[in-house]
Amino acid sequence: MRTSKKLGFIAVIFLFSRFAVAQPTEIVVWHAYRAGEKAAIEKVVAAYNAEKASSGVKVTTLAVPYDAFADKISAAVPRGKGPDIFIYAQDRLGGWIEAGNTVEPIDFFLDKATKDRFLPTTMEAMTYRGSVYGLPLNYKVITMIYNKAIVQTPPKTSGELVTLAKKLTDRTTGKFGLAYWYADFYYHAALMNAFGGRVFDPGPKPVLNAPENVKSIELLVKWFDVGGFMPAEPSTALITSLFNEGKAGIVFSGPWFLGEIAKNINYGLAPLPTIDEAGGKPMRPWMTVEGVYVAGPSKHKDQAYDFAMYLTDLPSAKIMAVEGRQTPANKAVYNDAQVAGDPVLSAFRKQVEVAIPMPNLPEMTMVWSPATTAMNTITHKTALPKAALDLAQKELEAKVAALRKKP
Amino acid sequence: MIPAHTRRFQVGLFVAAAVGIWICYYLLSQAVAAGSQFAAQRSAVVTLRALTEAVEKAGGAGDPVRGIVGGFSDPTLASVRVIAFDGISLEASTAASDTGDLSAPRRLSRDEKSIYDRGQRLRAAVETNREEGSARKDEIEIERLAAGGIMLAAPIERDGAVVGMVQVETRPGRDDGAVVSPRSAVWWWAGAVLLFALLSNFVIREGRRWLLAAISAVLLVVAIAGYGRQALHALETHRRAIESSVAAQVDRLAHRTTALLAASSLDTTISAAAWDADSFRHPRGLIRADGTIDEAKLAGELAASASEVKKAIVAVGLLSLGILAFIGFGAASNIGLTLFRNRSSYYYILPAMIGMIVLVFFPFFYGIALSFTDANIYNTDKSIAETWSGIKNYTDILGDFNVAGRSAGGQLLFNYKNFYWTFYITIIWTISNVTIGVTVGLALALILNTKGLALRPIYRVLLILPWAMPNYITALIWKGMFHRQFGVINQVMEMLGGSAISWFDSPTTSFLTNLATNGWLSFPFMMVVSLGALQSIPAELYEAAVVDGASRWQQFKAITLPSIKPALIPAIILSVVWTFNQFNIIYLVSAGEPGSSTEILITQAYRFAFQEYRYGYAAAYSTVIFAILIVYATVQNRVTRATEAI
Repeated sequence: MRTSKKLGFIAVIFLFSRFAVAQPTEIVVWHAYRAGEKAAIEKVVAAYNAEKASSGVKVTTLAVPYDAFADKISAAVPRGKGPDIFIYAQDRLGGWIEAGNTVEPIDFFLDKATKDRFLPTTMEAMTYRGSVYGLPLNYKVITMIYNKAIVQTPPKTSGELVTLAKKLTDRTTGKFGLAYWYADFYYHAALMNAFGGRVFDPGPKPVLNAPENVKSIELLVKWFDVGGFMPAEPSTALITSLFNEGKAGIVFSGPWFLGEIAKNINYGLAPLPTIDEAGGKPMRPWMTVEGVYVAGPSKHKDQAYDFAMYLTDLPSAKIMAVEGRQTPANKAVYNDAQVAGDPVLSAFRKQVEVAIPMPNLPEMTMVWSPATTAMNTITHKTALPKAALDLAQKELEAKVAALRKKP
Repeated sequence: MIPAHTRRFQVGLFVAAAVGIWICYYLLSQAVAAGSQFAAQRSAVVTLRALTEAVEKAGGAGDPVRGIVGGFSDPTLASVRVIAFDGISLEASTAASDTGDLSAPRRLSRDEKSIYDRGQRLRAAVETNREEGSARKDEIEIERLAAGGIMLAAPIERDGAVVGMVQVETRPGRDDGAVVSPRSAVWWWAGAVLLFALLSNFVIREGRRWLLAAISAVLLVVAIAGYGRQALHALETHRRAIESSVAAQVDRLAHRTTALLAASSLDTTISAAAWDADSFRHPRGLIRADGTIDEAKLAGELAASASEVKKAIVAVGLLSLGILAFIGFGAASNIGLTLFRNRSSYYYILPAMIGMIVLVFFPFFYGIALSFTDANIYNTDKSIAETWSGIKNYTDILGDFNVAGRSAGGQLLFNYKNFYWTFYITIIWTISNVTIGVTVGLALALILNTKGLALRPIYRVLLILPWAMPNYITALIWKGMFHRQFGVINQVMEMLGGSAISWFDSPTTSFLTNLATNGWLSFPFMMVVSLGALQSIPAELYEAAVVDGASRWQQFKAITLPSIKPALIPAIILSVVWTFNQFNIIYLVSAGEPGSSTEILITQAYRFAFQEYRYGYAAAYSTVIFAILIVYATVQNRVTRATEAI
């Protein structure tokens, strides 16, 4: 009897307290960061919450495993069960926009000052069909990573690269001058873009077998087949172990590779070389940009956008760069002495100058399978570049057509 | 006393006619309501398009536009807003809230973001359709407002580019009206039921069952067909009324718009015939510029919709006949009786039944329904009915016999994405795996069963280990072992003087890597099963055989095999199903390389669903897999029954 009275009393007090204190507006952020990157974003969020303590806005973060992230967004957000903000690379953006009610367009909020805050190409990655859908946070690009013990001066042109790589290669001891995952279409794109190659023409119309693409693959074949300075059947695991054993002088890879380099390897970074065969044009890697998106069904879009602005502003960008070891899309952060003095961050900043944002079209997800097949048959020398790309183009065209059937 | 079966037919006709005629009535009233809504929408689209054309003539922005919007003042419209993307501005507005400080022109405020976004959406839609040369995205947005009335929006174009948007809201209450009276439906129903009651009570009291069935069926069909005819006629009249009202609207607005444009001294050539358009801004072509109806085209559309209605009526008729037969021939009363007598048993299985429905039957039937649509990533927001495509997925999958062809050089090329190729690979995969599993497993079991074998428990544990490890770890290890340059298998081959093979390069070697991995994973199970069975064979049998002078082979054939058969056959049946759907190994080891040649059905279905996002197609693919396994299960059932007899 006594206990039930007590409980009732507590319940009444609880109810009162709920009504008495204004409910804070909670902005939920989903991201896929881990370790240092996660700590950095949480620090930014803590600073924001401290600043906004009086306004009743509170940001909470949820780290969602990367593998499940995109599918979770596709499933949860359109049904109104998702976060107010989510952070993800631009490659799924087009699909989400086409599916509808997932990503909020933010053109309306954007002014010139905000647009100018970011590297122009990162802004381009956030744009789909002429509308902007997110603020760019960080970017990732492939660059040249070399072992300082083996390579004294990194090559600047493809001619220098080939000469150096041939000198360093010794197939009997399993040593290679250059190792990268050249059979993967994403890695190959750097070379393809140097020739002015592309996957889609406006429309978007697939052009996998564009003559420029064929030329770039012919050069690649020359490198691994005639040159022989790259390992066969490359994979990320193989390249990591070759580099860590000092058996690969130069690697083309992105920031994700740096965490895997062994402690005893003294490495340096340099921009990808220019390609003599493409008239001295630089290799232009595909860039992935992590954008901050406001969810379509969010009930606090204004507050969410406000936080997105804060997250991509200079002080936050500095925390993300220095503590999270990320490469922010914010331009101004690279003028900061601490960031500018960092060899890794400044190397990626240099590389991004020539990087091209990976297409954010929904059709892009259909490119990988035929392109991978083509790259595999070419690198295994079971088909000529032109024939393999023609086949891939045919398959891609059929897939795009099947998806675009009139409703 | 009236016989029980006469009563049953009376009840049957009562219910069946009620259901059939009610469905017809329901469909009719829905069609009329939808028609009225459609009419309201169409005339609103006509108004919107007339206004948009005038605004475009006025340049899309500035004072001329405000002049047009001010002068247009159509009584059906509650408000008009014109926005321009340049400067995110409200160019003109007749909304009650946009007066005083808020009157146009001004920049849109933050809570008007949705208006701006709608404009951008329309611009993107126009550009998409133009670039793709298709009509996939709506170029006119139509939304029903909670307060009644419709909100519509259309893009403003200038020199081929979308520069703004006109948004209008109509006044509520224009589309109520047409309500279908149920009176004639009740008459048809009552007529059939009463007539049958009279006949069966007085004229053919002692009638035979088949005679009663025939008479009640005829009455039912007559009632439904009679009411159906009336409904069809009502629909046609309604449609004609809609057409003439829209035509009048076009005529009225054509005069008004011309006058308005002339007053503002703008170009007065208007395209009134294009105003009556669908949401892709394609003219319907039913109404001419002078406000007359294209009778030939209308007759064609009416005939098409009439044939749809007739199909629906026939379907309803068949359903009602089914109900009549179900009740009339006594099935309904039997089932009812059983349910009532055993009601406590049904209460007990109710929770399990609900669980099965939610977790098994619903996803299963949803998957089957999905297989008849062309659902994909672009239309996840649409319902199944909207994406319905009939059996197209199945004909695409099963009707594609393009398995192999000859290349220009005369070389035989296989189309690895073809269903029959994948099916062939799946069958080879299943048979070879089960064969390897059984042979190796049985051989090892026989060895382990040797009397007096030292360290037997240790061997047994070692041999079960491959099974105990998670199979994806094993799969990844095997994949690494098959690497061309660094894999242990190639290194051993080179050490022995052979040359390295690119395992994942040709379908055959790639298939072998899968086979080796799965063989490694599947023999322990067979070994454990056989070993258990072997140990239960009484030793006396062998002793007797030895006395009779049987050789080891004869002993194996006549004693060992028949004795372990009861244990081995269920294990084989099970392992066939497992292997048929063995996703992990194929996905992780060969990943279908090269060029999907080593995919099996289940991994191919996964690729269609989650790499190509063709959900409907993938659902059809899975349903085909299900059908294959059903056939297998039926055949296997027969075979087991045959083996049980021994």
